[in-house]
Amino acid sequence: MSHFLVSAAYYMQGIILVYFLAINSTYTLLILFALKDIVQNSYLSTSRGARRLLTSDSYYKPVSIIVPAYNESAVISDCIRSLLNLHYPEFEIIVVNDGSSDETIARLKEDFKLGAYLKPVRRQIPHAPIKNIYISGDYPNLIIIDKETGGKADAINAGINVSSYPIFCSLDADSLLEPDAILKSSKPFIENDEVIATGGIVRVLNGCLVKDGAVLEAELPKKTLEAIQVLEYARAFLSGRTGWNLINSLLIISGAFGVFRKDMVVAVNGYRKTVGEDMDLVMRLHRHCLDNKIPYKIFFVPDPVCWTQVPFTLAMLRKQRNRWHRGLLDSLLANRSMILNPKYGAVSLLGVSYFLFVEVLGPIIELLGYILIPVFYFMGLLDSKFVLLLIAMSLLWGISINISAIFLDTYNFRRYKKQKDVLRLCLMSVVDFLGYRQITLYERVRACFYFKGTQWDTQKRQSQ
Amino acid sequence: MRLTSSPHFYACLYIAVGLLAAFNIFEIVFMLFHKNRLDKSEIEKELLKHRISTAIITVTDPSEVLPKPVNAMNYAAYNEAVSSIIESFEGEIVERATKLIYKFEIDLYYKRLSRTTIWFKRAHAIDMLSSLKLKKNREFFYAVFKSEPVKEVRYRILYGLSRLARDREDIYSISKLLATLPYLTAKYTEDVFLNTITALKNAGKEEEFGFFLKQIMTNSGIPLKIKRDCLSACYLAGCERDGLIVKEYYNAFQNEPAIIIACIRTLANVDPGILPEVLHHKDWRVRLTALKYAHLGGTDLLHDLKDLVHDSNYHIRLNAALALSKLGDAGLEILRGETASTDKFAANAAKYALTGAEAAS
Repeated sequence: MSHFLVSAAYYMQGIILVYFLAINSTYTLLILFALKDIVQNSYLSTSRGARRLLTSDSYYKPVSIIVPAYNESAVISDCIRSLLNLHYPEFEIIVVNDGSSDETIARLKEDFKLGAYLKPVRRQIPHAPIKNIYISGDYPNLIIIDKETGGKADAINAGINVSSYPIFCSLDADSLLEPDAILKSSKPFIENDEVIATGGIVRVLNGCLVKDGAVLEAELPKKTLEAIQVLEYARAFLSGRTGWNLINSLLIISGAFGVFRKDMVVAVNGYRKTVGEDMDLVMRLHRHCLDNKIPYKIFFVPDPVCWTQVPFTLAMLRKQRNRWHRGLLDSLLANRSMILNPKYGAVSLLGVSYFLFVEVLGPIIELLGYILIPVFYFMGLLDSKFVLLLIAMSLLWGISINISAIFLDTYNFRRYKKQKDVLRLCLMSVVDFLGYRQITLYERVRACFYFKGTQWDTQKRQSQ
Repeated sequence: MRLTSSPHFYACLYIAVGLLAAFNIFEIVFMLFHKNRLDKSEIEKELLKHRISTAIITVTDPSEVLPKPVNAMNYAAYNEAVSSIIESFEGEIVERATKLIYKFEIDLYYKRLSRTTIWFKRAHAIDMLSSLKLKKNREFFYAVFKSEPVKEVRYRILYGLSRLARDREDIYSISKLLATLPYLTAKYTEDVFLNTITALKNAGKEEEFGFFLKQIMTNSGIPLKIKRDCLSACYLAGCERDGLIVKEYYNAFQNEPAIIIACIRTLANVDPGILPEVLHHKDWRVRLTALKYAHLGGTDLLHDLKDLVHDSNYHIRLNAALALSKLGDAGLEILRGETASTDKFAANAAKYALTGAEAAS
């Protein structure tokens, strides 16, 4: 074997090892940050809590809830009914039918007695033409926009133009909000003028007991594929996003549930047509504020809950993960001026760098690890003791990160009441490494090569 | 030298693997134990809260039938139950609740907690004390404000203090302390002054806030936005008696839209005569605020409103049309005329307001 090949192999081993240590250390650090944030939040969100917003007239800002919908006839009415039950003094619901080819608009007309809505629309941000705007005869705070297809970003932009209130919440049609979710997510806007966006936690709806658009009891889904996603969501939201709060470098507010100050979103020309419009918007908000020296805060609030349906088949999961990763890549590419740019401070040097080196390059290095470590082993460049110990360590460290995410969830929120659900989640921490992680990893790597496209990517819905 | 050939390398790896395995097991056990403990504690807390509330309402001396608090959960239950009673009742029941706090030294517990080194625990303790509205805490809040280094806690102390204001001195002290902190939000400042006015009203000294408003009017040391927030608080508290002072502000700050807006909200009810002037103010936010109250000016404003339906600002056009729709047949007649206007923006606004009016009737 040539000397060159052996040297290259050792370098590769070094890179893989350093990457493994760096990535796991980053996740561990984020968990520690998140733990601090969650403990702090548990103390600060007590007496002057969200309930005060409801009881005091002077203490709220009206909110427009924008629900983009494309072929959502199966779930749209339930979604609206759940929103109509929200505990909030003043809000409007704006459903944007983005040229659905199914019965979405007919279903809405039938269920909510729609009539013409004549309020002139102020076109502050561009979007595809609106065909009609309706208002419900039963609920004067329910507005339906029927427009030509333009994609999710375009639909939200139309909703923003029609909305009347200073803050808006974007919500997926397959999601259900807890009754106090808007109260809790809009509270930071009242407590601090610098807050321009907040995101709440998105939890898995599959398996939960739902009645009249409300989650009565959270239960872990029976199917392993769905149960792992419960763990994944807890890890992504509670350790990932909460951790970034501490350094004001949060780069993603989930498209499923985010609350924004309308004037700021209008200032950046609304959502951009891309598969990752949620991350792209948050990155542009950071950029806009930092470029113009506007003091701002973008928060993740771990308390308000949005329940959403997650893929229940492998094909759906692969499609979704591919789309998410394409969104990440496109957002980073579109906002490339923020990469390693000291002008953007911690957001660039920590937040954007994390996404570039951990979320984008990470899967590629990990895949290389999966391929090269056996190759090196068979080439005699690694001894079996080292390989086994390395695998054991990476598994145990990964499992420990997963369990820590469950711990964060259990420490304060305890949504899953049954001990057996918590134990099963711990089991999922192990199962995560036995195929699931590798499948999502493959899709993430594949997405790097096909990351264009902005059209709707709807998934099948399960009735709850 | 290769890393793997180091004699300590494998020892380190073994230790790391062992530690990780032990940590995972410990974490699972601790998590299950913690969850179990919290679940039980939550149920006990709710039961205790219910018991406390019932005892305060039904027993003359509730301390005789209630257990002394012994842990953080007990204190939290007492605090939440008592503060809820203080918010919802008055008279004898509130006195009983207050006596119970002193007897079981609930306030002392939170005062001790407010000296902890962790800032968010101090903030929590201050919030808890603030919700009890104990007059005796006034001096404590003043003292602790001076020594508190973290601004997030200081905001909370000031908030608690504002609920205990008793005279003019307190309003000045609170506003001075407020000036030592970075401006947080209009809502926060408004709320602090609203609490102050409410506390003064309860003490039968509502007019004290009026004197304060008058004195700060010419004080250039007080930032304009604090003055604005005082006026807003005055409006929210329904200080009609202070209408004359607000009018003085209105006259003195003609070039400050923020102050004019705050004044309109109070004055529109007591002196709608200002409306024609503010409806034509150069700042669109002033015009918009005026439009929200334009219906109070009656049909005298019809022509002003008709002009504003053609304003260059979207919000003004819309709200002018809505104001016309609230002015009876005369207003509706103008709107009907406007639907045929060549100004398509005005026509659209008129159509929208007419639809709303027809639906309402």
